[in-house]
Amino acid sequence: MTKILFKDIDVEGLTTLKVYQKLGGYSSLKKAFSMKPEEVLNEVKNSGLRGRGGAGFPTGLKWSFLAKDSFPRYFACNADESEPGTCKDRILLEKNPHLLIEGLIVSSYACLIETGYIYFRGEFQDVADLMDEAIAEAYKKGYLGKNIMGSGFNFDLYTHLGAGAYICGEESALLNSLTGMRGEPRSKPPFPAVQGLYDKPTVINNVETVCAVPWIVNEGSEAYKSIGTEKSTGTKLVSVSGHVNKPANVEIDLGTPVSKIIEMCGGMRDGNKLKAFIPGGSSVPMLGIEHIDVPYDYESLKEAGSMLGSGALIVMDETTNIVEATMRLAYFYMHESCGKCTPCREGTRWLYQMLGEVLNRRGSPETVKTLQDACDNMAMKTFCPLADAAVAPVVSSIELFPEDYESFFAEASATAG
Amino acid sequence: MEKETVTLTIDGKTATVPKGTNVVDAAKSIGIEIPIFCYHEKMIRLGCCRMCLVEVEKMPKLMTACTIDATEGMVVKNDTPKVVKGRQGVLEFTLLNHPLDCPVCDKGGECPLQDNTFNYGAGDTRMEFKRFNNVKKKELSPVITLDRERCIACQRCTTFSEVIERDQALVMHNRGFHNDIGTFNDQPYDTRFSGNVIDICPVGALTNSIFRFQARTWDLDNSKTLCAHCACNCNIEFGARENELMRIVSRPNDAVDDGWICDKGRFGYEFVASQNRILEPGIRKDGEMHVASLDEACDETVSKLKSIVEEHGPKSVGFIGSPFASNEELYLYQKLMRMGVGTNNIDFKAYKDTPGLPVSHYDFTDIESADLTVLIGCDPTEELPILDLRIKKAVIRLGRRLIVLNDQKTLMDKYASLSLRYDVGSDEVALGGLAKAVAEGLKQDGAPKVDNLKRASGIKVDEMRDFAGKMTSAKKVCVIYNPAALSGNSVAIVKNLLSILDKNPEGECGAIPAAPATNALGAMDMGILPDFYPGGISLSDDSKIKEIWGESAPTEKGFTTCEMFGKAASGDLKALVVFRSNPIVDFPGGDKIEEALKKVEFLVAHDMLHTETTALAHVVIPSIGPGFDEGTTTNVGGRVQYRRKGLKAESFPDWRVLAKLLSGFEIEAKYLDSFTVTAELAKKVPGYEEIRRGSIQKEGKTRPAQASVNGQTPEVTSPGSSGDGFKLRVAEKLFSKNKILESDSALAHHFSEPKAILNSVDAEKLGIKTGDRVKVSAGNRDLSIEAEVEDNCNPGAVVVSNAGDEYRVLALIQDHNATVQVSKE
Repeated sequence: MTKILFKDIDVEGLTTLKVYQKLGGYSSLKKAFSMKPEEVLNEVKNSGLRGRGGAGFPTGLKWSFLAKDSFPRYFACNADESEPGTCKDRILLEKNPHLLIEGLIVSSYACLIETGYIYFRGEFQDVADLMDEAIAEAYKKGYLGKNIMGSGFNFDLYTHLGAGAYICGEESALLNSLTGMRGEPRSKPPFPAVQGLYDKPTVINNVETVCAVPWIVNEGSEAYKSIGTEKSTGTKLVSVSGHVNKPANVEIDLGTPVSKIIEMCGGMRDGNKLKAFIPGGSSVPMLGIEHIDVPYDYESLKEAGSMLGSGALIVMDETTNIVEATMRLAYFYMHESCGKCTPCREGTRWLYQMLGEVLNRRGSPETVKTLQDACDNMAMKTFCPLADAAVAPVVSSIELFPEDYESFFAEASATAG
Repeated sequence: MEKETVTLTIDGKTATVPKGTNVVDAAKSIGIEIPIFCYHEKMIRLGCCRMCLVEVEKMPKLMTACTIDATEGMVVKNDTPKVVKGRQGVLEFTLLNHPLDCPVCDKGGECPLQDNTFNYGAGDTRMEFKRFNNVKKKELSPVITLDRERCIACQRCTTFSEVIERDQALVMHNRGFHNDIGTFNDQPYDTRFSGNVIDICPVGALTNSIFRFQARTWDLDNSKTLCAHCACNCNIEFGARENELMRIVSRPNDAVDDGWICDKGRFGYEFVASQNRILEPGIRKDGEMHVASLDEACDETVSKLKSIVEEHGPKSVGFIGSPFASNEELYLYQKLMRMGVGTNNIDFKAYKDTPGLPVSHYDFTDIESADLTVLIGCDPTEELPILDLRIKKAVIRLGRRLIVLNDQKTLMDKYASLSLRYDVGSDEVALGGLAKAVAEGLKQDGAPKVDNLKRASGIKVDEMRDFAGKMTSAKKVCVIYNPAALSGNSVAIVKNLLSILDKNPEGECGAIPAAPATNALGAMDMGILPDFYPGGISLSDDSKIKEIWGESAPTEKGFTTCEMFGKAASGDLKALVVFRSNPIVDFPGGDKIEEALKKVEFLVAHDMLHTETTALAHVVIPSIGPGFDEGTTTNVGGRVQYRRKGLKAESFPDWRVLAKLLSGFEIEAKYLDSFTVTAELAKKVPGYEEIRRGSIQKEGKTRPAQASVNGQTPEVTSPGSSGDGFKLRVAEKLFSKNKILESDSALAHHFSEPKAILNSVDAEKLGIKTGDRVKVSAGNRDLSIEAEVEDNCNPGAVVVSNAGDEYRVLALIQDHNATVQVSKE
């Protein structure tokens, strides 16, 4: 396994500029400034780096969509890590804040951006404080501010804390929230690359994505491409949680089989059998044991019927009550729906009510049918993917484990006595 | 400039629409309905209700038709099984927790949710849980009640507050299922335009507190009429039941109101059933008022006027008309005075104004197309509220620019790219300076001579050049000026300025003379002026007057209102007919006018409500007024519209009263209804030739403006000194407590006491702080009110808001300079 993001993660004092720089930090700036911005952009494009926030959109391509000749442009770094099961950005932010700053400087240089914002989820107060200290250090050292290292490039960086809403991780809702508006998704088009923050072209990238950029610049895109699979290049942080012996954040080469990742985390709890796993955070469909060896990369997981998402592997063993687990996820989406679109606002609550009905042994095949149809009426019919995310666990759990639902039906429990 | 168009196919039918049109509107243009809740054609695209789902070829998922632009070659399908199911699903979600209280809901019968459910719903629900209970009655303001259970969170109302009003007063609170509309800290949502959210709410969530549970909408007799408050003449629908006015809703007319009305128009209608209405004619005998029949009152009027004319000549009779009456009524009155009595002592206003413009008379829509709007002495927010919305739309949403020249701060200033403030009373100098700067910029002659601009008006020459530069560099300039807020020769100077600006070869310009009273423009058009016949015919145009009005038409200049009061005080004016006007309160000089009116031998008051003036009258004749009357009015944009009646009056319409009076003077007056008068005035009033019942039925019709007759360069007089006193600027208030909005009005929560707003420089000198009581006095009048220190005007003046009749603010204006003393109490 190659270590790019976690290379020095456990070195003491890494949060300080001194230690970070001693380990080679900020070296990519010199290299980047010796190149033209578009050369840096092409390097990233060529590396095949894909967005690590969830959608997996090629990063370099996203940058190249920025509206031409429209300035100023902005960089918004998405540190609103809220996807259930995901805690990989937090580790990077807590332990290696300068890596993100370095990544942001280089990325902004490539995109001709002079102002950047890091949008933290509301609960990240401590992390944001740490970042503020790191930013102050970087300013003092001249890595931020005017004419960085004599390159003529200016870059200012600010932090902003959200108010604790999952939806603000959606890029356009993030922009609304960042400007003091209600955290609700915007209509797309126009896309943020054309009209984003303050209606100006804006790049929005996840923390992990940005953190991979310095390595790509230093080592070259070919080196990055040599890791992982053909279409899923590089390494990925995976937050493994659930019924494994040692839940952890691990850095893997993309394409590593899921079974191997579980093994890296000490294997299944109590030697239990795997029942299901959610590969990419709660918003993606769950998969059954037959997919235990699926390579962990964008394409293979998609082929298996799920998605890589944010890289949160939630492992459930045979003792899991799938209906209850699904209901817990449904509760999350009900709580976090912003309420803008009718199907999501009303539907998430209805799904939760119906799952509760099943769990309380008042359900029937009709209830499950209605559940499935309500999911169909929600899916792909809302502004942002929150509704799609909300139906994913429900639809997949019914599909994979119909018997679990049936066991709760009213008549089933009646015969059980 | 032709707008680019695109052609698309919807359900197999092709539609060609301007680029930038969304699919909902494109479908509407060819008669295909796409159901909506949250989308409103006057607001931004929200896409949150998801009702307008359609299938678009080459797009994988269903799209919301309101958020997508129609594009060339786009193929939209509105009735596929996928669409039908999607919409059924959306409606099922919408109705999951919506109460089924349609039988008692105010929206019932005109409810988009009912209609869409009927047309697109599944007909059944699978919801088997208890519906969510929520607040049924939450008072957002004294006039708006929210039924939270019925709210479908479409965000139309909050969008209105944000995008149209630009207040963000009404916002969405909380998240998801618990989202809730409300205000900061639960303060009342009581903006000037709040009532519009009732109209645009697609369900019965936002209700009119006064109309709530009072009637079913299908039981109402609806009359498509006009608002009679300010001079915008917004289109409204008057809903009456059993001859009782139940509610007023907006009736969109893009050329006038753009679909909105202000709260005064919506809720300020109690005057139609006021206790203070004059219901019966009266004749004063031996100092006592006795009820009389209309015939008796008219006979008394005619015989008294005739005998006074006989004894003292026609010049001893005067007429004060009303800027609130219809064109027909005013036309007949001037006919009575000119052709019957034989006098030109006809006027309706206290300010100086003349009919006609040297440039185009712009309509409200021109504000949107003009790249620069110039406000002169105008406070649209308080005077002509619907213009406030139009200007905000032009500036914020259409990227036009606004510049302001005024003597007081207004809410429009924050939308202006440049705002200059001249000293109160120095409008002639400021406008002269502007005309001069524009003339210099365009290398033209003909501007008035102005010296010492800075000293006389408080505006630096450079600032004025900058202001003028913006006017001369714009491609289309719309100048909106309020003649009622200008003094002396100012209106003539504005017209001079316009004719100079019109010479700009690079740009075009037009103006909106924005006097705030309902039909002030119509009153001028109808010749309620001592020096102009209807249609802006000057008295000097003898041949034309004779041609239209015959040989006996008087051509000697009559008295203005102020002159009439003077002549009354000196005993030269023996008889005065006052039509729906209350000069004692509404004209500057109050007490003097009252004294003058007391001296008039014969005072006739033809009015709708009892006033200080009717109390002095010898004959009182009831006027039925808005709600009951029928006729036309001309708004400040020059648009003539049809004011229909909504209620049946118990007394005679005004045109019949006038027909009686005219007959008394042996003038043929065989009118069958108000429109036979319209037909006559169309023949007699130049510019009104095309005005007929049919031609103004829908959106009304703009009448061409008469050419202005001011040929010479006007003189500019520097303001007189106010000595050690302050110049008084009376600021108009939209919600002023007067005869129309009485103390028990639904809008009483908007009433406030007048305030003396002082410049900080003056306040410091006098040792006055905000909140102190001060005495504002002039002559024998004084007003004890609260002071506010705010730089609303330049030093040397005090702004007092005209907050209500009881304060008699205008009575403080006692001399030409409007000087008052201010002292701390």
